[in-house]
Amino acid sequence: MGDILGLVAKRLGLGLIILLIISVIIFFMVELLPGDIATAVLGQGATPENLAALRKEMGLDQPAIVRYFQWLSGAVVFDFGNSIVTGASVTETIGERFANTLFLATYAAAIAVPVSIVLGVIVALLRNSIFDRVANVATLTSISSPEFFLGYILILYLAVKTGMFPAIASLREGMDFGDLLHRTFLPALTLVLVVTAHMMRMTRASIINLLSSPYIEMARLKGTPPWKVIVKHALPNAWAPIINVVALNLAYLITGVVLVEVVFVYPGIGQALVDAVSKRDFPVVQAACLIFAATFILLNLAADVGAILTNPRLRHPK
Amino acid sequence: MSVFVIIYYTLLLGGSCLAAYFNKRSAFLLLFSLTLVSFVLGIIGGVPALKFVAVSAGLLAMAAMVSYGFREFLVAITSVNMAKELRTAPLTAGFGMFVIFTYAVAGIFAPVIAPFGEAEVIASAFAPADETMLLGADQLGRDMFSRIVYGARNTVALALAGTLLAFFLGALAGLLAATTGGYFDQFLGRMSDVIMSIPSLIFALLMLSIFGGDLANNTTSFWLLAGFAAVVGVLMVAAVSESSIIGWLIGLAVMAGVATVFAGFMLTIFNPSEVILVLVVAVIYSPRVFRLTRAVAGNVVVMDYIEAAKLRGERKWYLIRREILPNSTAPLVAEFGLEFCFVFLLIAGLSFLGLGIQPPTADWGSMVRENATLISFGELTPLIPAAAIALLTVAVNFVVDWMLYRSSGLKV
Repeated sequence: MGDILGLVAKRLGLGLIILLIISVIIFFMVELLPGDIATAVLGQGATPENLAALRKEMGLDQPAIVRYFQWLSGAVVFDFGNSIVTGASVTETIGERFANTLFLATYAAAIAVPVSIVLGVIVALLRNSIFDRVANVATLTSISSPEFFLGYILILYLAVKTGMFPAIASLREGMDFGDLLHRTFLPALTLVLVVTAHMMRMTRASIINLLSSPYIEMARLKGTPPWKVIVKHALPNAWAPIINVVALNLAYLITGVVLVEVVFVYPGIGQALVDAVSKRDFPVVQAACLIFAATFILLNLAADVGAILTNPRLRHPK
Repeated sequence: MSVFVIIYYTLLLGGSCLAAYFNKRSAFLLLFSLTLVSFVLGIIGGVPALKFVAVSAGLLAMAAMVSYGFREFLVAITSVNMAKELRTAPLTAGFGMFVIFTYAVAGIFAPVIAPFGEAEVIASAFAPADETMLLGADQLGRDMFSRIVYGARNTVALALAGTLLAFFLGALAGLLAATTGGYFDQFLGRMSDVIMSIPSLIFALLMLSIFGGDLANNTTSFWLLAGFAAVVGVLMVAAVSESSIIGWLIGLAVMAGVATVFAGFMLTIFNPSEVILVLVVAVIYSPRVFRLTRAVAGNVVVMDYIEAAKLRGERKWYLIRREILPNSTAPLVAEFGLEFCFVFLLIAGLSFLGLGIQPPTADWGSMVRENATLISFGELTPLIPAAAIALLTVAVNFVVDWMLYRSSGLKV
């Protein structure tokens, strides 16, 4: 077990280093602005006194390095300073929205993961049949459509024409869980459609890859029944690629959520990020970007670690 | 039971029986499962659901006929070798090529095809369709159809420019990294790792929050373009002149000139905010191209004929140009198609969020956003530009699928 822990720790360390570099990029890109945030906030017509006062208030009179470490030490304990536009604490504005986004992503994942793995395995078993081709075209179409296209189609047919689900996924205090699931069904379904297509294709590819390996052929030749070939011989080796596929697609879910939240006016962190970008509210942009990047890295890390845990060969790198 | 339903089931059952009789297994399976699905759909949705199935089947059949016709047309007009390849293309690839061809025609001849100008107000807001306006008017009373045609030019041109720039940077860096190796290779590899570990949409939003607003002016975008061209140029000079000082001096002088001309040229085509969009996209997607080129070229570099060329005393630029590139064209072309899809979707998404192509330029992503209110009245019009985006991406993906299949021998 010791070597596995060591490997996992190594991966974690690598992830932390990448996150650190990303925080540097996110922080210092804003420094690229000619002038500084204060001039960006107050505009061209600001008097020098006003600028100086605002700089003092935001701590901009200190060198960038010092401010970077202040920002970073705040970020570690989830304190991202105050918004330029509203003056409210960024953590308060974003915190609840982040929870909403996580809820939506979990909802979508809970539907998408089982469905796509089962479908992927079925399609892999039926490969080169007409069903496989139809599934191929359907998933390709779903992947190629922008999220807002799928979202609006669902709104048009499931909300406007039939009225089965609300078109706008607004949340209130004190909604019961069933109501919550009903209200957020359409955004979750949009995400499910996109992610399922990705996951199905990747599951199919990895299973087919596996089924063409010699030991499966051997098992078939010695007369093992087909279901047993799958369950006893293929599946134990398929877990590694499947875990990888799932983690990678959950990472994809995290970014796909931005467009979907805007389409359904869902109060999540993606919408906060888009609003902040158009208002040029840099502390919020930085915080949201850092959170998204951290989640993305974490999920990629999970994919790596999962692959190592399920595939003994990766535990002993050459 | 209306006449329609009776004809519907007669055709389906008759078709499946014929297929079964003539031993067409896959056609039979498809038709019969469609019959079974229709039973369920008919019970739930009634006649409208069946009509929907019939219309979509008809559309599919029409698309198949068009793709078949277009493929045969291409086979007829191309040279013998090309024709041989094209004959193996599946119908989906034929469909993809047909769609790309249509979009290209619409984009190139937009002013001739579109009945009105892209920013011309001709009617009241959201006016319904009539003989002059095929699809009605948008939220400002501009002709929807003309704007969609112009969108084919604006949106696609921007995505194409972004992909090309990403490809120049990524492929050049990848080829150079594969031939040079060592610290240079390591450095570029780690840099691309870092860029790729930020989700692309998030990274684009971050960059646009900085370079949007006041910074989107002529001077800034000129310097950003020139800077981008300079980075590509330095890589190029490094590949061509290696360690000769004279070569570097001449190369850098030529590069400065070319960078200026390039920046000026780009600014005549695109306006400053579009230039920034193109550059952002190019920076975000070049690491992906770099990775693939590095991997493909890395497999070629270890071949014996490269060793032979090196022993002959050939230079790096010759190796890249005459030995590595011809042997890695197929995966690179396929990757170009894939990258184009990603870039196109990213730009459409950004425009949809109101952060990409700015009005009054006609663009599909922002058209969806501007007309989205119509959806709540059950109108289909706002979906048309979104469908145009989806159709082009699907088409490119179909063609890429075929090319990948052909080049990699994925024949499992």
